[in-house]
Amino acid sequence: MPVKTISYEELIPGYEFPPATYELNASLVSKYLNAVGSAGDGFVPPLAITACAIAAMTGSLSLPSGTIVIHASQELEFFKLVPIGATIECHTRVAQKITRGKMSMLILELEVLDKGKEKVQSGKATIALPT
Amino acid sequence: MLTEIQEGKTLNSVVKHITQEKINLYAEASGDFNPIHVDESFAATTPLGGTIAHGMLNLAYVSEMMTSAFGRSWLSEGKLRVKFKEPARPGDTLTINGKIDCVEQKDDVSYANCSFECFNQKGETIVTGETIVKLSSDKE
Repeated sequence: MPVKTISYEELIPGYEFPPATYELNASLVSKYLNAVGSAGDGFVPPLAITACAIAAMTGSLSLPSGTIVIHASQELEFFKLVPIGATIECHTRVAQKITRGKMSMLILELEVLDKGKEKVQSGKATIALPT
Repeated sequence: MLTEIQEGKTLNSVVKHITQEKINLYAEASGDFNPIHVDESFAATTPLGGTIAHGMLNLAYVSEMMTSAFGRSWLSEGKLRVKFKEPARPGDTLTINGKIDCVEQKDDVSYANCSFECFNQKGETIVTGETIVKLSSDKE
């Protein structure tokens, strides 16, 4: 099913992106570990989970062609280890949308839950979109 | 892992060389194909002048330093707050240095408050931030 997208102009504070579900299988984790040059320790690296949450958000955000997206800051809190093979659900909400001159900023709140709806991690990302 | 957790203790540094191939691999793994990361000809026309590494790739290296120091305590109950100051580019060598600023007790639980800096071979700061790791509960 195609991912429903929203344009940057339509985003308003409080908007919640469609939740995205990922199965963190061995192949996905191995690909991530290879990309970051890490050996891993049998669990899903928490930042691989954050990467899924961010990918879910960017995948449903439609930006004008050629828009640069710059990660300006990140806050994260991890609550539990996640075993390989687990399923997670990523939720992202627009906390603030700021425009200053030629710079637009999005402040996003992220929350990731496991299959039992227990919190796995939460955080806040600031994304800059120079125009 | 660290054998001594005490104020002022430095964490083992992590040194990583950034290449376009690593950036492309991270794009594949994360699903983030923003052209500023992977399209060299597009990126050359932007004010950044070329491709840049994903901020989350730089952060993965910070997490490697924290995992090396604190193991599963970091992975299961860590907290971080970072600012991406400058982009990391292909050809850059990043060094991440960190230290324990203080060890705090709250409700019978010990926490290590750390700070870190990631800089490139020119000495430019790429990422700065703080982390908190829950160490143990005296009741456990």
